[in-house]
Amino acid sequence: MSHTGHRDDLLRVEDLTTRFYTEEGQVNAVESVSFDVRDNEILGIVGESGSGKSVTALSAIDLVDSPGEVTGGEVWLRDAELAEEFRGESPDAVDGDFVDLRQLPKGVRRSLRGPKFSMIFQDPMSSFNPSLTVGEQIAEAVEVQRRASANPRSTRSRTQGYGLGKLLFDSVVPGREYTSDESRERAVELLDQVGIPDPVERAEEYPHQFSGGMLQRAMVAQALAGEPDVLFADEPTTALDVTIQAQILDLLRDIQQDRGMSVVLITHDLGVIARMCDRVGVMYAGEIVERGSLEAVFDEPTHPYTQGLLGSIPDVDDPAPRLEPIEGNVPNLIDSEMPDRCYFADRCPKAMESCLEHPEERAVEGEQGHTARCVLADGEYDPERALDESHFEGGDGE
Amino acid sequence: MSFDGETDDEEYDGSLVEVEDLEKYYYENDTLFDRVLGRDPTAVRAVDGVSFEVQEGETLGLVGESGCGKSTTSETLLGLREATGGSVRFKGHDVFRMTGSERKVFRQDAQIVFQDPFSSLDPRMTVGEIVTEGLRIHSLAGGAERTERAKDLLERVGLSARHADRYPHEFSGGQRQRIGIARALALDPEFVVLDEPVSALDVSVQAQVLNLLEDLQEEFGLTYLFVAHDLSVVRHISDRVAVMYLGKIVETGPVDQIFENPQHPYTQALLDSVPRASVDEYGRRGGTLEGDVPSPRNPPPGCRFHTRCPHARDACTKELPPDYDTGERHEAACFRVDEDHEYWESEPLPHATETGEGTSVGGGIADSSD
Amino acid sequence: MISPRTLRSLKRGLNRNALAKVGIAIVVVVLLAAIFAPFVAPDRPGTQNLNESRQPPIGFEKASTQEVPVQENGSVVFEDGQIVTENRTVYENATWDHPLGTDGTGRDILSRLIYGARVSLLVGFLGTGLAMFVGVTVGLVAGYYRGKVDDMLMRSADVMLAFPSIVLAIALIGVLDDALEQSIPDPFVVTGVAPAFRSALGLPTGMPESTVLPGTIIVVVALVNWVWFARVARGEALSLREESYVKAARALGANDATIMFRHVLPNAITPILVLGTIQIAAIILLESSLSFLGFSSANISWGFDIALGRKYQSTAWWISAMPGLAIVITVIGLNLVGDWLRDALDPGIEGEGGV
Repeated sequence: MSHTGHRDDLLRVEDLTTRFYTEEGQVNAVESVSFDVRDNEILGIVGESGSGKSVTALSAIDLVDSPGEVTGGEVWLRDAELAEEFRGESPDAVDGDFVDLRQLPKGVRRSLRGPKFSMIFQDPMSSFNPSLTVGEQIAEAVEVQRRASANPRSTRSRTQGYGLGKLLFDSVVPGREYTSDESRERAVELLDQVGIPDPVERAEEYPHQFSGGMLQRAMVAQALAGEPDVLFADEPTTALDVTIQAQILDLLRDIQQDRGMSVVLITHDLGVIARMCDRVGVMYAGEIVERGSLEAVFDEPTHPYTQGLLGSIPDVDDPAPRLEPIEGNVPNLIDSEMPDRCYFADRCPKAMESCLEHPEERAVEGEQGHTARCVLADGEYDPERALDESHFEGGDGE
Repeated sequence: MSFDGETDDEEYDGSLVEVEDLEKYYYENDTLFDRVLGRDPTAVRAVDGVSFEVQEGETLGLVGESGCGKSTTSETLLGLREATGGSVRFKGHDVFRMTGSERKVFRQDAQIVFQDPFSSLDPRMTVGEIVTEGLRIHSLAGGAERTERAKDLLERVGLSARHADRYPHEFSGGQRQRIGIARALALDPEFVVLDEPVSALDVSVQAQVLNLLEDLQEEFGLTYLFVAHDLSVVRHISDRVAVMYLGKIVETGPVDQIFENPQHPYTQALLDSVPRASVDEYGRRGGTLEGDVPSPRNPPPGCRFHTRCPHARDACTKELPPDYDTGERHEAACFRVDEDHEYWESEPLPHATETGEGTSVGGGIADSSD
Repeated sequence: MISPRTLRSLKRGLNRNALAKVGIAIVVVVLLAAIFAPFVAPDRPGTQNLNESRQPPIGFEKASTQEVPVQENGSVVFEDGQIVTENRTVYENATWDHPLGTDGTGRDILSRLIYGARVSLLVGFLGTGLAMFVGVTVGLVAGYYRGKVDDMLMRSADVMLAFPSIVLAIALIGVLDDALEQSIPDPFVVTGVAPAFRSALGLPTGMPESTVLPGTIIVVVALVNWVWFARVARGEALSLREESYVKAARALGANDATIMFRHVLPNAITPILVLGTIQIAAIILLESSLSFLGFSSANISWGFDIALGRKYQSTAWWISAMPGLAIVITVIGLNLVGDWLRDALDPGIEGEGGV
């Protein structure tokens, strides 16, 4: 791994690559993505639908399902204990206090979900089981963590009670529950912490009795059950109305600060990014095309895609007479249709001959840590060398 | 196409569309079975007495959160849902009492574009068939002429003529939305309801479609009713804005008035909640409103907004505030506009956080960022 | 109504699904056999030949104990004016003249199955078609208009469902009697094509000149089964009427009939077709049951033949088993085709995938 990271790094993701093997062909959902998450910060990942931002989060915490597969890259987590444990066993997977999760056994990786990482999703309604009370489901998450801390590396101890025979038995003989009184109390506490009024009563209610905003709060409570170091929030407010969205964003901010944890916030909404995030990565076609501090990316965007995105959104405080959209459509990510050039070149107003070669991530002059996958990061636009349309025969259906 | 002759309305003032006290209630527990069991039907007051007008050539933005009744309003005023009360006049003609031939003309003059680019196009029809469906229904053009017209329309909305033989599933969301716009334009309408036309689109594509809508409005002299929940889009495209909350319009006015001088606390809170894409936004708290929108099955008495309003007082629970004129065709349904109202003497409600003389929170965020 | 895209996805579904190929093969073979019965049937289905009765199918030798006269020097032995008999085990070999054996009166079972397929498939397809027509019309109207119309139509449908179908069918047969029975001439036989073909190959001639069209049964099975189509069509109409493109058509000024036939029906057709293939199978079973119980006027049908074989259950099992097997195989084939259609005809699956 590179040693150029920041001293506060908690998680360093390097060249993460994820493929989906579908009937239409191989889909390059995540292409060599690198980012780092520091202590006590909110990192934003912004992109349009199909840019791979959600899959990036799932890949980092090893939750990609078939037909998808993480095919390459390293995910370095700072964890001195874990590093000590594996230093002798697999020295390649350890570097100082960091361990490469991709090289650890599957059981160990799974045991990190909860105490190290957790995730909340866009649609709270489908993230809860409609036939169990909200309190019971949060208590379940607490119980899993409680059993895990009693016996850290064993998956069995945590899933005890989930055996088929036991589950069948429990469904016939009522009153035998997986959760304990302590974990149910803890669930009520968590509901209280996420601002749900009357948590004792609400814990006994079913998901359909909750409004969207309340359920999103409950999902945050569930994600906090394991006291995670990094919370991945995948479009946590997209399904909500703007006044409720504001409440949830305030909540996320408070929780992040109170607990000193780190949040990776994935969204398509540049406004949400601006309100919440310290640092930002902009995704396009499976790649992070630009990353840096909020100020660097928003005030001095280098990649023409970032510039285009910022120019596309109407401003609620200042009605510009005309928007300046990015022409064309978001590409699909099927491998056979991905040309070996800058993926944005066909929509880019500043495409040059040098864009026919796939650009590396380059440092942008000025601020430290501001990079862009674009020749303009360390060069100037030269109209003489502009690419004409003929390089992109056919386009994609237009 | 246009209406000829006299209007039904003696006081016709030139508004293209006049909506008066429009009501749309849905009834639950209203099946045969429920009646046999003697259950009383429950009314869901989706639209509960809404009045506004749309002037020729303007864009009226109808904005509100989900479930406030904005889409139901737009579909009811076109007669796509049966209104349970009130009236809608199109060029002075009562839409709900039109004769057959009047209705035929109305169906050509008033069109709609829907939100969901996937469900708004029949998956089993070619794009050409979809776009020219109106011409076929009104027998306005023969086969060959229709094909030509389909190609014209597709090119007008930024697609290619050779797309006419393809099926909707072959297109992206933005392209499908263009097809829906072409369909609405086929009959040369004067008035187009745009029901969240860009909400399902990615921002880069959204900007393309917004620009297209503006170009088309200019080219064909269209009048728009633009229904949306996204305030920045509404600000960008509208001339006037109406803000809806729980089945009622709480504030209407010219777009700059609404966004820079909002009078209703709900409008103020909405504006406050929107995250701005600017570094000044960092760290700003936007959650000025607590709680959730009450159910339209059982709306709160008095002002619908009093359960969440930071300025709510006892008076707000007693009666429904009328639309107060605040000048420049700007109206707000809030007692706080009336300086002499008994509101100012009544007790603040327990949840109300801001009790003193309220100051406008809208009109920029400079003073509220960290 | 079938677009190139639909054809493509049907083909793709077929390549992915080996069972679908089996199903189609079964249905095609049965269909062809039924249509070209006068060419392919090895024997006349109705001609009795007591000498060859109860011959077993190929591969099964029949062993039976029979009482046979004791013979001496070629003549029967009498004792006290009675023929002397003894019990002897007789082996009868199966012959290729009757590959599936013969029934109690020596009729060729294979030929009867082939001609029986005509009746079963006629009832299956026409009955389903009629049930589909009635049910889809009712369902579309109920789902599209909702409210009182819906209440009225669907409650009466529920009443129909409350009766066991076989009981309802028998009651309806009682009402209709055989008023709708028709006899349709077999074009292959009447024109002399089939007899010429058969005599050229040296096969027995004299095939039946007409086939019974059991109109009563067709109407009855349709009346019993339309409810399923009505329910599916209503459900589809209920959800499709809320689609934006239906609203858009209304905004363009389309009337209800246009919307139902151009927008609702074409988009509801997939589940209806899938149900159709499964209903053909169900109706074939119902027809067989009715024939078995003797309520059909057709004297050649799979169910009827099962009933014929009942009294030979212990000595000649194949008389019942062969038509039973024909029913099972055909029904499985139709169900496999139904599954394939259901998987392949979903317009949502193609083109909207992605990650």
